Amino acid sequence: MSEQFVVGSASKGDCIVQVTRSSKTAVKIETGNEALFIEGLHAVVEETLAALGSPKVSVDVEERGALDYVIRARVEAAVRSVLSDVVPWKTGAMRPGNARDRLRRTRLYAPGNNPRLLVGMELHGADCVLLDLEDSVLLAEKFAARILVKHLLAAVDFPEVWVRINPLATYGRDDLAEVMLPAPHGICLPKAESAADVVELADELTRLEKDLGIDPGSTFIMPIIETGKGVLHAEQVASASERVVIIAFGAEDYTRDVGARRTQDALLYARSRIVAACASAGIQASDTVYADVDDEAGLIAETEHIRDLGFVGKGAINPRQVEPIHSVFRPTDEEIDMARKIISIAQKAEKEGIGAVAIGGKMIDKPVFERAVRTIALADLMKGGWR
Amino acid sequence: MKNSLGREIPEKIAGRVLRPFEGAFATTPTGRKAARPQKFIGPNENKVLHSIEEAIEATGLKSGMTVSFHHAFRNGDYLVNMVVDACARMGINDLRLFPTALFPVHEPVIDHIKSGVVTRIEGSMNGPIGAFVSQGGKLAQPGILRSHGGRWRAVEAGDVHIDVAFIAAAQADPYGNANGIYGKTPCGPISYSAIDAQYAEKTVVVTNDLAPYPAYPFEIQQGWTDYVVVVDEIGDPNSIASGTLQITRSPTRLKIARLAAAAVKASGCIVDGFSFQGGAGGISLAATKYVGEEMARAEIVGSFAIGGVTKYLVDILHKGLLRVILNGQAFDLAAIESMRHDQNHVLMDPGHYANYDSRGCSTYMLDAAFLGATEVDLDFNVNVNTHSDGQLLHGIGGHQEVAAGAKLTLITVPTLRGRLPVIVDSVTTVTTPGEVIDVIVTERGIAINPRREDLKERFVAAGLPVRELAEMKTEADRLTRPPRKPVFGDEVIALIEWRDGTVIDVVRRVEGWQ
Repeated sequence: MSEQFVVGSASKGDCIVQVTRSSKTAVKIETGNEALFIEGLHAVVEETLAALGSPKVSVDVEERGALDYVIRARVEAAVRSVLSDVVPWKTGAMRPGNARDRLRRTRLYAPGNNPRLLVGMELHGADCVLLDLEDSVLLAEKFAARILVKHLLAAVDFPEVWVRINPLATYGRDDLAEVMLPAPHGICLPKAESAADVVELADELTRLEKDLGIDPGSTFIMPIIETGKGVLHAEQVASASERVVIIAFGAEDYTRDVGARRTQDALLYARSRIVAACASAGIQASDTVYADVDDEAGLIAETEHIRDLGFVGKGAINPRQVEPIHSVFRPTDEEIDMARKIISIAQKAEKEGIGAVAIGGKMIDKPVFERAVRTIALADLMKGGWR
Repeated sequence: MKNSLGREIPEKIAGRVLRPFEGAFATTPTGRKAARPQKFIGPNENKVLHSIEEAIEATGLKSGMTVSFHHAFRNGDYLVNMVVDACARMGINDLRLFPTALFPVHEPVIDHIKSGVVTRIEGSMNGPIGAFVSQGGKLAQPGILRSHGGRWRAVEAGDVHIDVAFIAAAQADPYGNANGIYGKTPCGPISYSAIDAQYAEKTVVVTNDLAPYPAYPFEIQQGWTDYVVVVDEIGDPNSIASGTLQITRSPTRLKIARLAAAAVKASGCIVDGFSFQGGAGGISLAATKYVGEEMARAEIVGSFAIGGVTKYLVDILHKGLLRVILNGQAFDLAAIESMRHDQNHVLMDPGHYANYDSRGCSTYMLDAAFLGATEVDLDFNVNVNTHSDGQLLHGIGGHQEVAAGAKLTLITVPTLRGRLPVIVDSVTTVTTPGEVIDVIVTERGIAINPRREDLKERFVAAGLPVRELAEMKTEADRLTRPPRKPVFGDEVIALIEWRDGTVIDVVRRVEGWQ
């Protein structure tokens, strides 16, 4: 523990907070528009210090358009860096419920320590937002990042939000202790390679859920398979825990691990194996990200490819990629017509007590019927083409 | 007295009886136009002078008079400072400046206000001069802010009598024909000044590029011009027009633009003959591009677009998606270049597009328009003039005329700028009344003015996120402690005119904080 610590950055939407041990509490704030903001900023800083047990520190804040949750996070991180005995702010648990089978066409990544890129992430129509504490966060910023993610989760409603933690062997447990306070819908486990990896996380979640008064078993797990070993063990990863509702594929690390180039051929085996493993476990499969944000045509082509392989969704690294990915999963007019026909034939058959029916010579069995229902639900959701 | 929006307006200011705003189209002009005196300049007379001082002497410019300027050279303009400095050197004071707009480059004017050379300003005060006036800098009379069309109207109606119009020209001939399209430092249309040139007692064209007779297009005409002054430099080319304006990369802003374009499409107006106003602001630029994409998808040909013209609008023209661009203001070099070569890229002055006291405005022919705001309120009123701290910030531009004219007016704004909420209970200053705003588009959804219930069904059917303005406000307000509100004193520092010359609001000096 040092006498003084600085957290945050000078970039837009952030603030720089410097905390020093002191004999009495003192707060100094610099802001772009003192007349408008100084009062509110003092209130946020003081509320944070109170939540941390009114530690004896002097706090200097340089604010650059930071929202309240950013300021809370920066102040908390700086205070706890200086005073190790300060108890973390217990932000409320806010996830009322969780749905296993909801639509997950996109999982939108956002770097966990960058307020400028985090703001508004809930508004871009992504089915899942994935707040990242792993690859996009520098080692020196891991601590500040998990506190920022905690306060963001407590302040903003997401349709579904996941936190990608660091491997449990490194900082994953510290990440969980912090971000489970506001109870995200799920946790992404990077470099999952075996059932044991998943079980280890599941056990940790069980313990935390109990401690924090969260519904037992309600926190989902999204293992990310991104190594050769993980691909070979996809089946045991998929069925390792009831918490696993989806598996994501990470192609960048996978190609590096197995020594492949990133071609569709090189990824085909891994992708298909993951899809099969997920199908056998009754869970969803989500494909890797497409790195070139400016290449919309390439993104759409790859999304069509993975949709045809059986993936239900794909990663996005920029909000701009959300709509193109969704457009690929939007049922076509022909598909909707066919689904309507299937449903009406099946319902009529059921009413009349007829056993087996067919359309165009093809049997309408349970999977066919269920797929038709899903198509219509998806079409309704994506009506008008906006989302 | 209170105007129809409930804003408190003084009965009289500096001897002028104020007419309160009554409604967007409530007043009818009366009387006749105020013309300049007749004058004859015969064959073989020389109009060319070689310094601003010479022009000041030749025009008889004296203390207490009114001098006018346009802002087509934007933050690169040298002329305002040249003229005011020369007046100061020649012992002329108590000037009324009547620019279309002042920019940060005109900061030296502040010293001339302090020394009494400039005592009144009627025109937009962007940047330091607005801040100076807001923060206690004394003008002898409150500033007056007018829209593009409102300024034109004020000159025609005789509300403002110009003694000497100084018109910066990118190119002029010795006989006084001038334009902003050609020359060494092109700036785009200078037709803002066409009304000054025709109504001022004396008209002086100032150029750094004297071309052989005849220089055309005739934005400013020989029959209006008394003198032509040739100077070495008229402006800083780096600050006049941009190379290419970049479309924002902010996901929030792009989403707003995408929603706005989707709303225009959903309203059903993207059919053959579609007309719209494109803008140069961050969100408008992107919305313009997206609307172009919608036009291409719909395989239609629009009738016309007006600008703020940029490369993105020119691209739409070049793709054959649009019959004509009417250009009142060019924001980048691509727009200026296109004006030289494209027969369907037409010059337009503010009288043509925006003048209330006239027999027709181009904006009345618009199907859709995208506009920005510093604040919007729950009555859909829009503020573009002041910051939430009460400081005078920006001019009106064409905001009022476009909003009043377009059949579908969309305000595109983020709900938060840093810590500052953009949706407020009541705007600090009303620039444009809610009655002419149809929808407000933010990253949180689309709010429809209750006057436009007809849009709701179409938007919902298109799957657009239709929301209540108050709901979006609550969501945004949850993310920051509310900013303090200024407490205003009695002293009026600026009048905001509606485009018909009535007073829609006044800006008062901030005296404290709630």
